[in-house]
Amino acid sequence: MSVCPRSNPDKYSRVLTSGFRAVVPFVIALVIGGAVLLATGHNPLAFYQLLVRESFGGTDRIAATLSAATPLLFTGLATAIAFRAGVFNVGVEGGFVLGGLTGATVALHAGLLAGCVAGALAGVLVSALPAWLKARWNVDEVVTTLMSNFVVAGLTGWLVTAFLQAKGVANSATPLIPRSAWLPDLLPPYGLTSGVLIALVLVMLYAVWIKHSVLGYELRQTGLNPRFSAAQGIRVGRVIIVSMLISGAIAGLGGAAHALGVVHRFVDGFSPGYGFTGIAVALLGRNSAVGVVLGAVLFGALASAGTTAQLFSDIPLDIVDVLSGTVMVFAVIRLWRQR
Amino acid sequence: MSYLGGVSCEVMRTRLVPLSLVSVVALVAAGCSSETTPQAPPKKAALVIAQGGLGDESYNDLAMSGFTAATKEKGVEGQHIESSDVVAQGEQLLRRAGTSGYGLVIDLEFSHGEILPAIASSYPNVQWAFLNNKIDGPNIASVLFAEHDGSYLAGALAAMMTTQTGNPKINPDKKIGVIGGTKSVGIDKFLSGYIEGAKGVDQSVEVLTAYSDTFGDPTKGSQLAETMFQQGADIVYHVAGGTGAGVIEAAKKNNRYAIGVDDNQDKLAPGFVLTSVLKRADLAVRKVVEAYADNKFPGGQVINLGLADGAVGLTEFEFTKNEIPESVRTKVDDLKKKIISGELKVWNVIDQGYPTWLQG
Repeated sequence: MSVCPRSNPDKYSRVLTSGFRAVVPFVIALVIGGAVLLATGHNPLAFYQLLVRESFGGTDRIAATLSAATPLLFTGLATAIAFRAGVFNVGVEGGFVLGGLTGATVALHAGLLAGCVAGALAGVLVSALPAWLKARWNVDEVVTTLMSNFVVAGLTGWLVTAFLQAKGVANSATPLIPRSAWLPDLLPPYGLTSGVLIALVLVMLYAVWIKHSVLGYELRQTGLNPRFSAAQGIRVGRVIIVSMLISGAIAGLGGAAHALGVVHRFVDGFSPGYGFTGIAVALLGRNSAVGVVLGAVLFGALASAGTTAQLFSDIPLDIVDVLSGTVMVFAVIRLWRQR
Repeated sequence: MSYLGGVSCEVMRTRLVPLSLVSVVALVAAGCSSETTPQAPPKKAALVIAQGGLGDESYNDLAMSGFTAATKEKGVEGQHIESSDVVAQGEQLLRRAGTSGYGLVIDLEFSHGEILPAIASSYPNVQWAFLNNKIDGPNIASVLFAEHDGSYLAGALAAMMTTQTGNPKINPDKKIGVIGGTKSVGIDKFLSGYIEGAKGVDQSVEVLTAYSDTFGDPTKGSQLAETMFQQGADIVYHVAGGTGAGVIEAAKKNNRYAIGVDDNQDKLAPGFVLTSVLKRADLAVRKVVEAYADNKFPGGQVINLGLADGAVGLTEFEFTKNEIPESVRTKVDDLKKKIISGELKVWNVIDQGYPTWLQG
């Protein structure tokens, strides 16, 4: 962090520094990925050029990138809020998945808005127990939130096969949500859902709230030094619970938005680990609003471009996975050096 | 190398209007006297890999092997596409394939069924193929497998084998079992056929059924199979993907029989896998690619693959031939012939709903 963060020019330079810090892991990953590409007899520059084109080269590709970034905006933001309060919440995946199932099921009967609210509530439910355990008994949240992901995975699987399975569908899935309850598309026919707007609004609210509200201040202080915060009179337990519940609500809302905007039902493979990529997004973005957006767009671009790049080259998806994985690794290493 | 393909396709798109004008003129000029079609671009086909990805030693790998072989044979440029998020990326991925100069896109991912008709109609010059479900559209070919027929033969075989008490792997109880991966019509199509086949041979054979609710948990498969063996079953058929590895292992451990599915699983535990109900996704993909290469793509049609094509059926009993009496094998062959000739019609849960012998 910069030494004196108050004056205006410094503010800009801070944005620059945080931007720079987010870019460094990415550059290192490009170099390592380039070495892998060279070693396997491919031209790295040509491939990176292809990736850029497939990420941003046209309305349809930008829509695809933003669409892939949308769930990561939700999970990245949900993770960042908890991290900001010093709670290492790795249970965003579970909140996302249960939010998705709940949203898809409620929207089926009660429409779009009810689906979104129910999804957010489901996310709150997932994060509530680990939050209380952490605040009241100081139970390690990494263990409880990680395990809650498995509980949710089992629970949703059982709920779908036992009660919610769509008739006449061969794989495990809930019925298709009626079109009236879908989140509207922004750029038809490219399938970019308005969920991205919800996510961006949330990120902006977060940026303002964390800087300018009392609770935001308490959250940051608790994250920096819980014992000092307690001595200052901040009710640390309450702050931890609030941050976890907000984190859960955003995760759940993200799941509902994904169900109502993209998949239009809950189905096998609903989340390929959005919650876990969200951790990387938050780490890469240093838990800042701008950083979360950059991180989500970066991983979204890698996901969408990595897939369609296969249409134009023989380079396997695994190389793109190497790139994403390397970015994640270096994002974590930077954080560790700072603290 | 081929990443420039997209650029040339942009060019192509802008040329589309004059090109189609030219072709109309050409058609009018030629009348119906000749079969010359307007100069077609080099044929390119894409295969969209389903969840589970390549390396699943099952559906995806099987389909991929058919794709590789057929594209090579027919001189079609083939490209496969994997995605770690194939469910949510479906829309963009398929649209991108539609604008990238591919003439044929084969989609293995079941969850894309609902979005495919809209996408296919946006790209009418591309042929689309979908497996395991009937999708409507003039440029979509659907491939369905008669899994119920193959399962019927497995059920008949199991019912005849469970009375062969001279065999050390067979107990006195007239019980057999079947484990489904999940309770859904796609899986119950197998189960129903299996039960019908068993009852068709011997009404008094009891068929135990269970669902593992997962396609990737061998431990659960093993536990379910153990339970069935303890209840007196001696042959257990699995329709549960990766979970089935546990069923086969349990059969080996308990000196009983398992029946495999999809690929030839007889070799996974030689002698303990009575047979496997084959479902040749490779043949399906091969057929689609060949039809496309020969300009005979069956757009708007359903390709039904069954016993007659060898796309569905039992294995050659490579390791169990000596344990299955000649008379039993002959009977299974007879039943197969009857199904192919249409004399015997096996219940299809997908078209006909649930039969009396299986709860919906």
